[in-house]
Amino acid sequence: MSERKGLMGALALVAPVQAIVTLVIFIPALYVLWLSFQSSTYGQAAQFVGLANYSRVLSDPYFWRALINTAVVVLVVVHVELLLGLGMALLFASGLVARPLLLAVVLAPYAVSEVSAVVMWRFLFDPSIGIVTQALLALGLPTLEWAVFPSHGLFIVALLSIWLHLPFTFIILYAARLSVPGELYEAAAIDGASPWARFRRVTLPLLVPAMLIAMLFRYIFAFRLFSEVWLMTGGGPARQTEVLAVYLYNEAFRYNQFGTASATGWLLVIASLGLALFYLRKIYKEMFANAPA
Amino acid sequence: MLRPKRLGIALFKTVMVAIIAIWSLLPIAMIFISSFKFDREIFAVPFRLGFTPTFSNYVALWEQWGGFFSGLVNSLIITVFATVLAVLASAIAGYAYSRNRHPVLSSSAFFLIFIRLIPPIVITLPLFPVVNQLRLNDTHLVLIILYAAFFVSLGTLVMRTFIDQIPIEIDEAAHIDGASRLQVLRRLILPLSGQGMVAVAVFVIVFSWNEYLFALIFTTANARTAPIVISEMIGAIEGVQWGVLFAATSIQLLPVLLFVILAQKQLVAGLTAGSTKG
Repeated sequence: MSERKGLMGALALVAPVQAIVTLVIFIPALYVLWLSFQSSTYGQAAQFVGLANYSRVLSDPYFWRALINTAVVVLVVVHVELLLGLGMALLFASGLVARPLLLAVVLAPYAVSEVSAVVMWRFLFDPSIGIVTQALLALGLPTLEWAVFPSHGLFIVALLSIWLHLPFTFIILYAARLSVPGELYEAAAIDGASPWARFRRVTLPLLVPAMLIAMLFRYIFAFRLFSEVWLMTGGGPARQTEVLAVYLYNEAFRYNQFGTASATGWLLVIASLGLALFYLRKIYKEMFANAPA
Repeated sequence: MLRPKRLGIALFKTVMVAIIAIWSLLPIAMIFISSFKFDREIFAVPFRLGFTPTFSNYVALWEQWGGFFSGLVNSLIITVFATVLAVLASAIAGYAYSRNRHPVLSSSAFFLIFIRLIPPIVITLPLFPVVNQLRLNDTHLVLIILYAAFFVSLGTLVMRTFIDQIPIEIDEAAHIDGASRLQVLRRLILPLSGQGMVAVAVFVIVFSWNEYLFALIFTTANARTAPIVISEMIGAIEGVQWGVLFAATSIQLLPVLLFVILAQKQLVAGLTAGSTKG
């Protein structure tokens, strides 16, 4: 098979995938970039307005509220997940009875939809009948009034996001922990290393790449947070619990401001790219390193 | 000296496992158990495990929320077609990426990784008017294409990782025997990469069955999916019919939960392949 013919054949095989992502994701995303420089509402002719949409978004206090909410929730959710996931990965790797069963238990939230999760957590924290509310009351602790206080609303959103996505972080870290060769621990044990030293000098350094990957993916996906907030608080009270995706949705589909919504959309894209820049560079180098020119 | 310490560790592990199990399962168990309770027992404080089970919530769901069951059918149709489309397209492309090296191909693989960084909500802005103009609004087809589109990039990378594990000598032997690339793909690669296809299928099935945002924007009546109907039931929550809501949530959750547990091995392999290799 000639190389040229080989390449054409390979391109034909990747064509369906490339076509669908180009048509459904890439071109629309570029169109949003164009829209973000236009003044446009649904059904009206567009008009070039330069950066006016961006300056309108950036001077909107609701945008900043949404940005701060998103940043806080993402930072809390991703790092708590990382710590819990790491702890669970170490616990599972240390040998447990009925490990396959426990793995199924831990994976269960992965199957739950955001909508169902909201039903569950609303029920747990219901002000009058919630089992968690009752437990908090019994312990003399303050309860969550997520319909009244924005911070409570964001807290419960963060809690339910962690619950939904912990399986992902855990699996990545657990797989990485299992791939650490056992001989390393034997060698460390022979050298008389304490459990803490073994963790600090063997486990942790070898898990760092997986931790970075898990964090990166969770940053990018947590940044898109929409359904949990939309269904839990609707962004209220008084738009105080909106996150960026909810802000964008409201601008576009409630206020018909496609220009500012598009500008918000591109700010989201740029932020995602910024977060992933190091990762993209690494992948890029790896890909072109093993490809003969 | 050693014994109490070991006992302590075992005790610590047991407590930790119990906490993890409660954390993972309590929210699910609560609504599942409560879906078999009469309202007065749902509202009983404190929560009671002993109660007379009833199917009244399921009956009420059937009688009052017929839309939920057509939602389930819509979800099923959309999930099946999106999964078949995404898995096949990913397997074919994954094969090409696994067996061929060329800068053009590398660039297009990089493009697939780049695409994953675009948040879904962004593309709803231009798609909304286009979908309306094509009169595809509120059809299964829109959601099938959207769901497949958001998983073919991950799917392709996962399939490439799985196909990489099939020795290339098998292909070469077949090529020497005169088999074309498509024949190799159909007769050898696809049958041998079943695990990978299940892994991709798990992602697409869980996503399509549960997705909310696209379904909210692109469906109104005919193609409304089960999560949308459940969200409407939450919306009507002021006169909360908790029991009926729990019944609907349990029905929506159970099949995909069983599936995730059964395909656990492939899910773990797919998650690892999809994230470490890009």
